[in-house]
Amino acid sequence: MAKLITGDGRTHIESTLMRESLVDRRVVAQTNSEREHTILPDVTLVGIGGQSIFDRGREAVLPLVAEIAAVRGKYKLVIGVGGGTRVRHTISIAYDLGIPQGGVAQLVGAMEEANAVFLNALLAKHGSMVMPREHFWELPLYLESHMIPITISIPPYHFWEPPSGSPLPAHGSDFGLFQYAEVLGMKRVIFVKDEIGLYDKDPKRHKDAKHIPRTTLGALLADMPEELILDRMLFEAWRTARHVQRVQIVSGLERGMLTRALAGEDVGTVIEKGAH
Amino acid sequence: MERKTIESTLADTLLTSPSSAHFDYTPTAMMPDVKVIKIGGQSILDRGKAAVFPVLDELVLAKDQYKLLLCCGGGTRARHIYSVAADLELPTGVLAALGGYVPRQNARMVQMLLAKHGGIYIMNDDFEKLPLYFRLGCIPIMTGMPPFGYWEKAGENGRIPANRTDAGVFLTAEVLGAKRAIFIKDEDGLYETDPKKNPKAKHIPRISVDELIERNLDDLIVERVVLEYLKNARFCTELQIVNGMKPGQITAALAGEDVGTLIVRE
Repeated sequence: MAKLITGDGRTHIESTLMRESLVDRRVVAQTNSEREHTILPDVTLVGIGGQSIFDRGREAVLPLVAEIAAVRGKYKLVIGVGGGTRVRHTISIAYDLGIPQGGVAQLVGAMEEANAVFLNALLAKHGSMVMPREHFWELPLYLESHMIPITISIPPYHFWEPPSGSPLPAHGSDFGLFQYAEVLGMKRVIFVKDEIGLYDKDPKRHKDAKHIPRTTLGALLADMPEELILDRMLFEAWRTARHVQRVQIVSGLERGMLTRALAGEDVGTVIEKGAH
Repeated sequence: MERKTIESTLADTLLTSPSSAHFDYTPTAMMPDVKVIKIGGQSILDRGKAAVFPVLDELVLAKDQYKLLLCCGGGTRARHIYSVAADLELPTGVLAALGGYVPRQNARMVQMLLAKHGGIYIMNDDFEKLPLYFRLGCIPIMTGMPPFGYWEKAGENGRIPANRTDAGVFLTAEVLGAKRAIFIKDEDGLYETDPKKNPKAKHIPRISVDELIERNLDDLIVERVVLEYLKNARFCTELQIVNGMKPGQITAALAGEDVGTLIVRE
């Protein structure tokens, strides 16, 4: 049993980090190791875009619901939903009002909640459930019962969103989902958007935008397109991440693309972590 | 199947593009007069009553003059958790979430000691009720940890979460719109080398963020991320580190005197 140590005025519990400054690089490096334990490595996280899918209504959502229902039990899935136009509107009004950046981050999650409920209403008879994102310790129960948990994507940084150079909160939904997958040791994340993946510029604005079917994190970090379909912070976080090896972007508007991605096919855009 | 969008200045932008950020943005300072104060974990709370009582006594004397928001650090129990979790090779996010329990315990203890003076324990979720608590003359006490938890990014160089209680307290000050955050530790602030290991270490009364970053010290008195945040902050541009073991330092700091060490963005 660890001892209590006194003598310098403080009462310490004996541990390798006792009395050390946790800012000391050498001390921090001691906590590193080659391996890392993976908590739920066989689960796939699927993110469904807010503006790209939900805001398009039944024509986009219902076929996706059918695709997800069809793979129930075949894969262990967690579904994350984005916010969409309501988030953009929230941010727009908030900035106009002068809401501080942390306050904006606090506000956006609420607009994702509605999409989680919409999706759940449609999938419930196929075994879905809305799961508060912090309840992932219950995932083994849900996944063993072949349930499809649906969660919101935005991370809970809330008022404590760190100031970024731009007025927009940097830690958005795509980052939130990525981080969810990473902390649970998942190997892959699939984002369902309304484009067949990554392009060198926004294909909605530029007719000559080139599709990128396959790339690596290293290549992207070296030459990041200015207009990105995913949060920039996702790639930042991926640099030091250990578990997610593959981020795939598919179009939810192309029937069957998600199913193929789940089966391991390299459709859409596949970004591999690579030897970084 | 067109997208049903709501018209707004941001309706069609990619929120990820840096060039999408050209608004006329003047953020409001929500409660700039609040004194956001960190009570150190290892430096003060782990010392027990010998350090804690005098610190709390000084704060209580000031409570009618200022709005005090007390945020607690972690300390040795958090270190023990990080140590065990790192040994089990668990991800950084797990360390961050578990480490968060300790400052909450500390905040609860401080609340019990300050209850008769109006101390109340608040959670991150209660943050929006601060105006009520101050109007009633309370001293709100909360964790210093930010709520990132499992969403804390994997460490660059090891498993210790980068955003701990210094970061949390800074971010609290920043979102409230307070210019300065006060950290009560057990030293007069920053020194050229660790004064606990070198009794002749030279004290630094004031230093800029840029200079501190440039010095690239192996060890720092404040979490590294805070220096980066200070560079981008809109409101909180000053950190003051004072010695809670010296009677009067806290009182002086609350009065706006530049005691201890000031880390400022110039």
